[in-house]
Amino acid sequence: MSEQSMAVWSAGLLAGAKARFAALGADLAQAPQEAQQALQSVHDSLMTGSGVRSGTYIAILLLVGVAVEWLYWMYAYSPLRAVMAFPASSPREALRIGLRRLAFGASGLLLFTAATIGASAAFAWPPHVHGVVIAATLLLLMLRLSWIGVAVVLAPGRARLRLVPVEQAQARWLAAACLAALALLALGRFVPPVIADGIERAEHFAGALRLAAYTIAALVLFIGAFAFFGRSRPRTLSGRTPLFPRSFPLAMLVIGVYGIWLMHDRGAAVAAIAAVVIALQLGLRPIVYHYWDDDDAGALPAIVLSLARFVVALAGIGAAAIALDTPLATLAENVGPWVRVGLRLLGVAVLALLAHGIWIAVRSVVDQRLARIGPVDPHEPPDSSSRLLTLLPLLRVTTAVLLLVLLVLSSLWALGIEITPLLAGAGVLGIALGFGAQALVRDIIAGIFYLADDAFRVGEYIEGAGNTKGNVERITLRSVALRHHNGPLHFVPYGALGSVRNTSRDWVIDKFNLPLPIEVESEKIRKLIKQVGEDMKEDAAIGPLMLEPLKGKLYRIDPGVKIFRCKFRSPPGKQFDVRANALKRIEAALRKMGVQFADGRQTVLLQSSTG
Amino acid sequence: MPIIPGMRGGRLVRTVRLVSGLILMAFVLCHLSNLALGLRSLAEMEAWRAALTRPWTTGAGEWLLATAATIHLSLGLYALAARRSLTLSATDAAQLTLGLATPPLLIAHVIALATANRVSPGFADNYGQILAVYWSFAPAYAFLQLFVVVVVWLHGAIGLYSWLVLQPVWRRISGFVLPVLFALPILALLGFASAGQEVLDKLANDAAWRQMILDNVGRIAKVTRELAGLQRDLLLGYGVLVALALAIFGARVLLGRQRGVGVAYDGGHQARGRYGLSILEISQLNDVPHAHVCSGRGRCGTCRVRVDAGAAMLTPVGDLERSTLERVGAAAGERLACQAHVLGDGVAVTRLLPAFADATAAQSPHDWQAGSAAKEPA
Repeated sequence: MSEQSMAVWSAGLLAGAKARFAALGADLAQAPQEAQQALQSVHDSLMTGSGVRSGTYIAILLLVGVAVEWLYWMYAYSPLRAVMAFPASSPREALRIGLRRLAFGASGLLLFTAATIGASAAFAWPPHVHGVVIAATLLLLMLRLSWIGVAVVLAPGRARLRLVPVEQAQARWLAAACLAALALLALGRFVPPVIADGIERAEHFAGALRLAAYTIAALVLFIGAFAFFGRSRPRTLSGRTPLFPRSFPLAMLVIGVYGIWLMHDRGAAVAAIAAVVIALQLGLRPIVYHYWDDDDAGALPAIVLSLARFVVALAGIGAAAIALDTPLATLAENVGPWVRVGLRLLGVAVLALLAHGIWIAVRSVVDQRLARIGPVDPHEPPDSSSRLLTLLPLLRVTTAVLLLVLLVLSSLWALGIEITPLLAGAGVLGIALGFGAQALVRDIIAGIFYLADDAFRVGEYIEGAGNTKGNVERITLRSVALRHHNGPLHFVPYGALGSVRNTSRDWVIDKFNLPLPIEVESEKIRKLIKQVGEDMKEDAAIGPLMLEPLKGKLYRIDPGVKIFRCKFRSPPGKQFDVRANALKRIEAALRKMGVQFADGRQTVLLQSSTG
Repeated sequence: MPIIPGMRGGRLVRTVRLVSGLILMAFVLCHLSNLALGLRSLAEMEAWRAALTRPWTTGAGEWLLATAATIHLSLGLYALAARRSLTLSATDAAQLTLGLATPPLLIAHVIALATANRVSPGFADNYGQILAVYWSFAPAYAFLQLFVVVVVWLHGAIGLYSWLVLQPVWRRISGFVLPVLFALPILALLGFASAGQEVLDKLANDAAWRQMILDNVGRIAKVTRELAGLQRDLLLGYGVLVALALAIFGARVLLGRQRGVGVAYDGGHQARGRYGLSILEISQLNDVPHAHVCSGRGRCGTCRVRVDAGAAMLTPVGDLERSTLERVGAAAGERLACQAHVLGDGVAVTRLLPAFADATAAQSPHDWQAGSAAKEPA
């Protein structure tokens, strides 16, 4: 954008503001006269047969609406009382109750409005009246909705159910101020169009009325900002740094929006929405943490906070689009350059918020699970949690990379930068790189399948191809780090891992031989080994490690030696301890029985031939 | 002692107010049904007037209606004066406001019809005449009338509903009463519109009839001054009465303000209120969940409490309270929180019904005895 076009644009803006001020002045000057005329003509048209007919129809509409809502409350009143009698012990419960109250109240109101507007379609109205009736119904809807909202959020007189941290003494006044401001805003929004479209086309009167309503609303909000948010926040710790009073930015927002409205009608709606969004974004953190201040909530407040930020931003954009009466797509084409840039930046901000929300959610869930599993103990048998321990960090990194790439690409797209050539360029470069990175790709793909097959987890002892063996210490996207039992750390790319022999799964069978002298009685030895096995099973320390008891039997008879083979089953990694213990016990038992191990000496009988 | 706790009336006052209200409601129903006939034709309306409206405007009927209206109005003002706080449910507030608004709105209509043919002989108070005045000559009165239909109907419907819903018979008749209650005023207004259109057409087309109406209007115009004077005096008198009731109410509130009393509830609730308030009013002022289906009229028995301490600091049991307590099968030491007024500190009570108890608790009190242990919903 050139400087010149900006200057033209600003000059246009100023000229528009000047014209608008002049129009407002004219409105004020001509309003009294127009009001008199309008009132007179309304009076004249009311005091006729058709006026009476309109009045009758309006009374009927009122009765229909009241009857429908009455029926609703016949059923809804007791549940509502039950909800409100619930002893809310925490702010979060109060929030839940508040949402239910809101649903109850809004449903009744909705029924009333729907019944009234629906019934109004059945009558033949004199000209202009139907529009007035619908506008009045909408005004009533907004007023009652404000009432319900304020009653739910501030709950004057019901400290238990209050949703925001406001003192009891202030709640009533704050509620009154909010209601007054909302009522004035609704009045300024709904009444002037009816007057301007009425019989007399009293546009100046409508303008003056709007000006008065908005001015008083701005005043109420301005005073309210200082009256209710001006006090210094309580300092629980004496050494805390002083905080900027919230009243000041709030009052500035009010004045800013009002000023924009004075200069530009359309812009004010957007500015007001932006102001509300900004105020909410500023206040969201304390509000969310007001509801989730306990420790066991874990990652929830962070997720809720980012979700709430996102929802507030989206709702703001949606409301702005509605306020401007234009779909955003066509909007971008026919407004000033600043607005276009602003809209695009807004799009990027929304994307960033979305990405941030997803990232916060994934990260906090992953961190929470990891914290619950705790650090892995390489001496303990790996269980199912070690699989999570393997996968979760991987998931976290992958999500981060993916989100970042997506965010960058879609931000560029949202800013209007063509990303197709970028992607194509990346494609060409990718082919070049691809030849070089063939092995890398192979490793990653192979790694994905190893993990999908659950071939190994952190902490397990595996043996791969090419004499690589050791405890799995770390799993990355491309390789696995194996700690050899002698200490060295192997980094094995998945592509080179080959077939994996995992010795840490489920159970192992260990066998060892006992050479005994040829003279021993086989059956006795078998029973002795069985007895040792039963003793081991009884032992508190070693018993749990025996998945199958120790057994032994005569395996081979060599010259001068009987070889007994013993066998047991134990959890992986425990077989060495169990075997040592079994040998110790067997040795002791054999000694007690007076049997010695085969001594390895072979007796050679020499026959001398003397003759 | 300036405050007489419990002066809101015993059983007799309640009964009289209820009966007078029912009489007025019966009249309104008849009158509205007559108007609803306007949907068929003006002649039909006029034909049924003898059966539906005339009995109320002549002889004993007129006397009954006037007496009932006077009594109902006086008792309403008395109830306002006897209030000790403005803790009202939404329906009660609506009821009070609508009731107070009725006489000023209705007065023109009543005076015109009740006195016009006495002041001005020969005045024909038929529907054609009245509708012609409303739809053509003085539409301002028509708006007044429309307003009064909505106001009176809402007031009457709230009163009738809140009395009927407590009766065991309600379960059987609700399916019939509610549609009638809702449909009748709507039909009446539709009849009003339809008959009004007919009258306008007749005025335009039937010259003789038009002349007759004009003559009649001319006769009324002669006595308008007199009628307006009468109306002003009556309105002034009514205004004085309302102001008096409000002044008594205000004085009672201000006088009671100087002394505070405390009540302790089950569940650790503590509440404070002015001297002379009922336990229920103190609950409502302090946001203590407390069932009250009939809004403190002593009819439903859902607000009943067991007095654990300080029974001497409560006003004695009246006849209304005693009969309600008997009806719901209350044990000894139980009170109606809306009838027991607190005169001093040290009162401790246990609420016996959960706060969400509804009209069924009044219709069949014994079904709710078992549920009373579960104080709060889970």
